[in-house]
Amino acid sequence: MTTQAAPLVTRQRSRLSGIWTALRLFWIGVSRNRAGFIGFLGIVFYVILVILGPILVPFDDKVKLDEIASPPGSRIQLMTRSENAATYTSLESLAGKIVGVIGNTGGPMLVEPYGDTFEVEEFRWQAGRGIDRGLEALTDGDIDALVIFSQSVKNYVTEPERAGNENIYTNLTVSNPGLGPAHLFGTDTQGRDIFSHIMNGGASLIFTALLAGLFSTVIAFSLGALAALVGGFVDRSLTAIANFVLVIPRFPLLVVLAAFIQLNNFILLATLIALLSWPTLMRAVRAQVLSLRERDYVEAAVALDLGRWHIMTREILPNMISFVAINLIFAVTGAMYEQVGLIFLGMAPINDYNWGVMLYFGRSRGTLFNPDSAMMVLAPVLAIAFFQVSMVMFARALEEIFNPRLRSSL
Amino acid sequence: MATRSSPVSSPSSIEISWTDRILDRWQKINSNYVARTIIQALVTVWAVTTFTFFLIRLMPGNPVQVYVAQLMNAESITYEEAYGRAAAQFRFDFNATPLQQYVDYLGQLLRFDLGDSIISVGTPVISQIMRFLPWTLFSAGLGLLVSFVVGFILGMLMAYYRNSPLDHILSFISSLMSAVPNYIWGLMIMVVFGVQLHWFSVGDLRGTYDPRLTPAFTPEFIFNIFKHALLPVITYVLGTVGSWMLSTKSSTVSVLGEDYVNIAEARGLPERRILTAYVGRNAALPLFTLLAISIGFVIGGSVLIESLYVYNGLGSFLFQSITGRDYTSMQGVFLFITFSVVLSNLLADLLYARLDPRIRISGEK
Repeated sequence: MTTQAAPLVTRQRSRLSGIWTALRLFWIGVSRNRAGFIGFLGIVFYVILVILGPILVPFDDKVKLDEIASPPGSRIQLMTRSENAATYTSLESLAGKIVGVIGNTGGPMLVEPYGDTFEVEEFRWQAGRGIDRGLEALTDGDIDALVIFSQSVKNYVTEPERAGNENIYTNLTVSNPGLGPAHLFGTDTQGRDIFSHIMNGGASLIFTALLAGLFSTVIAFSLGALAALVGGFVDRSLTAIANFVLVIPRFPLLVVLAAFIQLNNFILLATLIALLSWPTLMRAVRAQVLSLRERDYVEAAVALDLGRWHIMTREILPNMISFVAINLIFAVTGAMYEQVGLIFLGMAPINDYNWGVMLYFGRSRGTLFNPDSAMMVLAPVLAIAFFQVSMVMFARALEEIFNPRLRSSL
Repeated sequence: MATRSSPVSSPSSIEISWTDRILDRWQKINSNYVARTIIQALVTVWAVTTFTFFLIRLMPGNPVQVYVAQLMNAESITYEEAYGRAAAQFRFDFNATPLQQYVDYLGQLLRFDLGDSIISVGTPVISQIMRFLPWTLFSAGLGLLVSFVVGFILGMLMAYYRNSPLDHILSFISSLMSAVPNYIWGLMIMVVFGVQLHWFSVGDLRGTYDPRLTPAFTPEFIFNIFKHALLPVITYVLGTVGSWMLSTKSSTVSVLGEDYVNIAEARGLPERRILTAYVGRNAALPLFTLLAISIGFVIGGSVLIESLYVYNGLGSFLFQSITGRDYTSMQGVFLFITFSVVLSNLLADLLYARLDPRIRISGEK
């Protein structure tokens, strides 16, 4: 009974259980390799970030003139006359009163939901003069509280001796120093939330890098396999082309090409990067296929006259899949390097606001030298650096798992 | 002499056609490793120059046409005048056929004539390159040297003490360092140590030397040069030392497994001698090719690093000429960088063949 049933069951489960076994082996390998596990977690983190980031945190494109390039933390404060400082500490406590806000700042957005609990008086920005008028109205008793930014408080109230801030408002107190949204990474040169840009700015970069890596791997694999399997003239000319492309300094060429071609289309950018980055992998693939071709099972397939396509896809490719996967990851990190480098120099005018563009603005708008706005550069720098690190760690772990000779820390 | 050559120049050799003789000569050149390597380098140089010629001159909407249109707009001169000026700056005869222009262009390149700069009118591009080149050679070369030496030593250590905590820590650090792009390191250094911690003043370290100093062979000036090169050099080192460590480790580990090392140990040779004469020399061999490839990569990366630190080398000159649409300078710098990379690869190949006879012999097969 049992001896008859056993083979039947295994045959039914074979394909699914194969995948299951592969996944389990992969998990064992990855979880035993510490660096690889960190890299794997990093990649999972970036996948989640790219998918959920735009959903969870909408892109902040509202220019807030009073909140420019400020350090992390909440910048919006509630200011009242000193005698009311204990009572008016939140927007809820101001029911029925008159609250002043300054136009083109984060204030109007903040009081919008309270429109029917209290009266809102908006002072127009007018090159900063609105702040003065708001503060005067508060001193005179025209309004009961003012939603204002910490930088303005610093300029007009706590440091009035600074040039241009002659007006002294001695009877005013900040009753709530952290009223508005806490900007985790501060704001950029237009007063927009950097955290929302980090959450939204990864997708296009990672997509382009993946695309470029994929293109490059496909080119490298097909040309390498072609060269090794056909041999002769095809092999010699493909190797010569690879050697030629390999020697051209890639990044300077991309920079020069960017002067001729508008690189504002990310598929074009990915293709260009791929066209210049395939040769190293192609030579490695060629060498691998040449050595695999000598194996007995391939020779058996040749003897059976199974055709080049079958030998390629059924006999050789499955034995190279780990090698290709590892090099795909390295190709992606290389593409990321070149892509962000081009954007950083301003050579690839990509329309959407990604981490590379943040770096470009960080450099071109001088925020690099402003101690308060360090996060505008540091946040994308860390986002890109951790992406690269997780990818490389994961690839190295895969290398060790698939190539036991390299295994050192398992 | 005559008797020795007689069997070759027998009457039958007259029947060998000249094509066969060329083919025969070609086979001989091709089977010679040195000659083949040099010919490959020359073909590469020729292909790159031809490519730039087509890019600059013959592509629709090419830079010459754009520049002529700009000149006509900016100075309200006729098409002929503008075209004549463009032709003089780009160094071509506008009455000639494209083929003739191409031949002239190759001839000029042989004489190192790269045309005149468009932005700095009247300055030959080659003199601009010579002005900026020493700084890139100095900073990038120093960076490459330091990172090679440090990476080699640490990589050897990792290989000798493999599977020890030292190896694990260094492996982790080297993966980390090689993964992060060099300009990202540069930005981190500037923002964290320069702007936040005030270890140095970012503004003072711009440029290649303090403009208040006059270039002279004084200790003060030399110190200043090193001070200004410090940040780019550190950045180059951070960006490349990790990969040197990893490649040194892998090549040393493979050498350590060789029979001749075991035999040397069995013979009771002193540890020091095994490390230097048996392991070190063989482990360093494959790194020479990597060194040549990385020269190209470092010069390529200098575009980013020098623009970031406003270090006036070849890389930042290339960047400036591209943002200023200075096509002649751009073409000149690109060709120059490519030639130097081809040359360094060629030298590495030849040096490798000298150092490792196995390559030479298998290449001559």
